[in-house]
Amino acid sequence: MPFKHLHLETENQVGYLLLGAGTRFNKLSVTTIRELKRALGQMEQDGTINTIVISGYPGESFAVGADIGQMLHFSPTDALRFAQLGQSLFDQIESCSKPVIGALNGITMGGGCDLAMACDIRIAVDTLQIAHPGARIGIITGFCGTRKLPRIVGKNAAREIFMTSEPYTASEALRMGLVDRVHPEKDFWPMVKQFAARIAAHPAETLSTAKKVLNASEDIDLKSGCALEAALNGTLWNTRSTSNPTP
Amino acid sequence: MPQRLCKIELKEKGIAILEIPGSEATTERQLLEAIRRQITHITDTSEIKGVIVTSSDSHFCTCGIQEYHPSPYTAAELSSFGQQVTFLLEKTGKPCIAAIAGECTGVGLELALACDFIVAESSARFGFPGIEEGRLPFCGGTQRLSRLVGKSKAKEMVFGGELLSAEEGLAIGLINRLYDDNLLSHAQALLEKICTRSPLAIRIGGEVINAGYDIDLQTACMLERDAFALIFSSHDQSEGMQAFLDKRNPDFKGN
Repeated sequence: MPFKHLHLETENQVGYLLLGAGTRFNKLSVTTIRELKRALGQMEQDGTINTIVISGYPGESFAVGADIGQMLHFSPTDALRFAQLGQSLFDQIESCSKPVIGALNGITMGGGCDLAMACDIRIAVDTLQIAHPGARIGIITGFCGTRKLPRIVGKNAAREIFMTSEPYTASEALRMGLVDRVHPEKDFWPMVKQFAARIAAHPAETLSTAKKVLNASEDIDLKSGCALEAALNGTLWNTRSTSNPTP
Repeated sequence: MPQRLCKIELKEKGIAILEIPGSEATTERQLLEAIRRQITHITDTSEIKGVIVTSSDSHFCTCGIQEYHPSPYTAAELSSFGQQVTFLLEKTGKPCIAAIAGECTGVGLELALACDFIVAESSARFGFPGIEEGRLPFCGGTQRLSRLVGKSKAKEMVFGGELLSAEEGLAIGLINRLYDDNLLSHAQALLEKICTRSPLAIRIGGEVINAGYDIDLQTACMLERDAFALIFSSHDQSEGMQAFLDKRNPDFKGN
């Protein structure tokens, strides 16, 4: 089944998942979220893909939030179902066995910001504008942002971002730790591709183990985390020693 | 009891300025009691939309005559009381910014840490020098500081007792914004902008951030999902979205 709102490409073991609505703003509508889930599932199954990049189609926004016209008349239970759908996408990204890089190529707002935060690593273009403007339209986010933003940038910076609802620049985002790398517009795609290809060249099982153990570090205490690290290293060593016997 | 130990002044657009004494001769308990009364006033006064906690003195609350504690019980009791006051400050349901010039230490820093975030002028200095007399933060400061700047930075500050400069505070995320001058007018402009947003979204958002911070991701996201759904029964949601679609300014009511 073809995708209406996504373009899929593969290059150097990297799967590119590009949001492209054919308009300036890529909205996270119900259809787009469902397509993202389906495409992500396909790429996770695809043995030729070792790393996934989510981005906006070049020249457009990364992603803005939901379709406000669509949400205006939501009942509380519609809203609950919509939050559930979005959260299930972000859970899928986090549980995906392959690294997922968010390449923030332009305007990143609301649900788009939450999508970026579900990615393992965020690379931004220097013209980035990133915002969480829910309070401007009378809502909070329902896409895990209230939990993730404070963990990424600290509680106080997160409160400021939510409360002002204003856009922040690439350098502000870098200073706060909201994005990990920033590149000028002309170098952006080559740098994203180079970085993603570098990660994709590493052994798949090691990447998936690394992702699992690093994600766990956020939620569990140090001792349990260390026990998990030891157990996963044991499994990993076992896999690698049988698949690539060392001399 | 000292009269008007902390003053509160209601400016235009619902902005209240809560002034904490810089270095008045008062005990920590008297100061905390005065602050608690003002926090209750802020919470109960619907005309107050947002709060700036600051000091008109050259320092922001370096204060407090330390009380002599005849027993561990009275010391623990003062600590519980101080924690109660900072929790109340966190829970006014209104945006609250600490605006700091000069030294902000001890109870002063504890109060600043309980605000939504801190902005400062370059003269600001932050720290917990109480360690030199063998004292620790007691109004929740150890917990809030380490969550904000990380455990090792918090230890560096609490063990060492040295004061951090405003630039250092910005670098480690203790303060959000640093201004060269006109601290209060910058803080006021920022808060006025925040007060144009939905008070309901700000209040519920703040509560969900606090509730979700210390728990696991799945439970926190479920909590957020339910709060998100609740907002779709509010005036602010339908008004905010309709105004956005109509390209006009929303008329939020906070319900």
